Amino acid sequence: MACRIATTQTLRRTALIGTALAALVIGGAPLQAQTPAAPMPLSKACQPGANAGADQSPLPNVAAVLAKRKTLRILAMGAAPGRVNAHHGGYTALIETMLERALKGVDVVMINRGVSGELAASAASRMKNEVALDEPDLVLWQVGTNDALAGVPADEFADTVRQQIAWLKAHKVDVVLVGLQFAKEMLRDAHYVKIRETLRKVAAQENVIVIRFFEAMEIINKVQGDGSEPAAEEFSRDEAGYNCLAQYVAQAITLGVFAKNLPKQPAPK
Amino acid sequence: MRREPNAVDFWRGFALVTIFIDHIPGLLYASYTLINFSISDAADLFVFLAGWSLRLMADGGGRSMPTRDVMLRLFGRALELYAAQVLITMLAIAMLALTSIWLDNPLLLEWHNAAAVFSDPVPTHIGLALLTHQLGFFDILPLYVVLMLMAPFFALIDRLAPHLLLPTSATLYVCALVFRLTLPTWPVSGTWFFNPLAWQFIFVLGFSFARADAGIGALVRRHIFWVRVLAVPVLIYFTFAVVFDALWDPTNVPEPKLFFLLDKTWATPPRLIQFLALIAVFSSAFYYIRRFAKLPWVHYPSNALIQMLAMLGRNSLYVFCVGSLLSLTAQFVRFAYRGTVGVDTAVVICGIMTMAFTAWLAELRQRKPSAAPR
Repeated sequence: MACRIATTQTLRRTALIGTALAALVIGGAPLQAQTPAAPMPLSKACQPGANAGADQSPLPNVAAVLAKRKTLRILAMGAAPGRVNAHHGGYTALIETMLERALKGVDVVMINRGVSGELAASAASRMKNEVALDEPDLVLWQVGTNDALAGVPADEFADTVRQQIAWLKAHKVDVVLVGLQFAKEMLRDAHYVKIRETLRKVAAQENVIVIRFFEAMEIINKVQGDGSEPAAEEFSRDEAGYNCLAQYVAQAITLGVFAKNLPKQPAPK
Repeated sequence: MRREPNAVDFWRGFALVTIFIDHIPGLLYASYTLINFSISDAADLFVFLAGWSLRLMADGGGRSMPTRDVMLRLFGRALELYAAQVLITMLAIAMLALTSIWLDNPLLLEWHNAAAVFSDPVPTHIGLALLTHQLGFFDILPLYVVLMLMAPFFALIDRLAPHLLLPTSATLYVCALVFRLTLPTWPVSGTWFFNPLAWQFIFVLGFSFARADAGIGALVRRHIFWVRVLAVPVLIYFTFAVVFDALWDPTNVPEPKLFFLLDKTWATPPRLIQFLALIAVFSSAFYYIRRFAKLPWVHYPSNALIQMLAMLGRNSLYVFCVGSLLSLTAQFVRFAYRGTVGVDTAVVICGIMTMAFTAWLAELRQRKPSAAPR
């Protein structure tokens, strides 16, 4: 039964992404004038996790902003701003580069205000000030890992995230949630799983994008474990994972910009 | 010779215990610390009292110490703090690595901004040495290092033109808020969690208020009744606003926004005003706590508590360093055994006892040996 539901959800997600891509080609004319219609391609290594990566939702405020000006301000909040790569940039720097490539002519300004170890409640409180100061169009919120590790009750976590999404919506700021970090050892951690599920549910109920990093990495790891890809060292695999994360985020944002006509997904019960 | 408990040591000890608890996210007892009832928190108190202690250090020997010696002494203290920061950071990294191996969980390597240390060590080690890369919850000492590097200049101004000290510090503070001047982090892009250019004002306020015979310190002491009359409503308002989540919407404030926000990184004016109100109202609390401790039925536990907190405060650097590592240890313990009431209680009791043991050891070491071997 669970497998069937998962298959149905995957099909629905694929259909939605397909619709969005079609919208780029067929119905994206007004925005095409502002930005190119090229969909964000994923690298081969990241493709296996693409369907698990994100549910598609529109980003109405970002779309409206891009129709008026050619600057997109993104506030990166939450756990760590990400690990640095060989070029000494975090995954947010990668996202910035990818988005500027995909949204040609748009200057993407990434404002990193992540604080490591911070719980969702603290980040939510701080985020209000950062929104006031930096006036972002979109908040990229990496959330859940610290709450799961610190044992924050799932209900409390859900309330915090839900209230913050409502606050952001009320202030006309779109949000993309980035889910929990991946480690295969956390598959057997019940609370970690619960927080992941809670985040997915809240995102679906509030109709916001959540990049399900953990699930995507789980699939990629399985593919690599099958022997179809050469087994990587732990760190190089993690770095590849953050590259994929950047690609999923960039793709979700570009699709979200054009996906304002997508039907709202039914919220899970 | 160990000094008797005084208000500065007592409140510093209180701040150290509070910081230890606040730095364990999700801990049951973290819901009852100052930050849950106040805009400002133990970090403000710690920095303010550091400024207060700077007065004792800068005025060492009844202001008879040559200026050059005072400046060298303060610079030496900054180096000592820097060494402490490097040491506890390296120990924290080793603890993260060890626990990651022990629990067979690579996720812990990415905790608390440590990911860059393991994934890209070349630039990150430079960042660690430059203090531009800070682990999560290990970001107060870097602030303190910068403040102590600024301290010789503050002490110099205080000697040459004391009436210019507070205006100089206030000007730097206002400029930082208006022009949003701060220090960047590197190699991970971002800014310092505690902006030294803003927090130096709290430090200098502590330094200035500590002087009882002149300046703002003397002025406030002369008019402490009226200061408290003003402070009480401020404190009541902010306490209610925090408890009932009735603070103003930060997006509605006018420019310059940092003047009106309640922000820890920038130690913004509303936060500062609330903190000063807190200090004004509680400045004589230690006197009453000591009197209370003399009551026969509470004498032993109250006196023990006063002695312990004052001892922590007297040895604040050692205790702070050990407390930081204990907070990290407590997070590992809570992760491994889950944060039940029992685990949280054990974590707090063991942590405070270890901090007290650290302070006791430090004082034992400072005592002159009665019969030194020849």
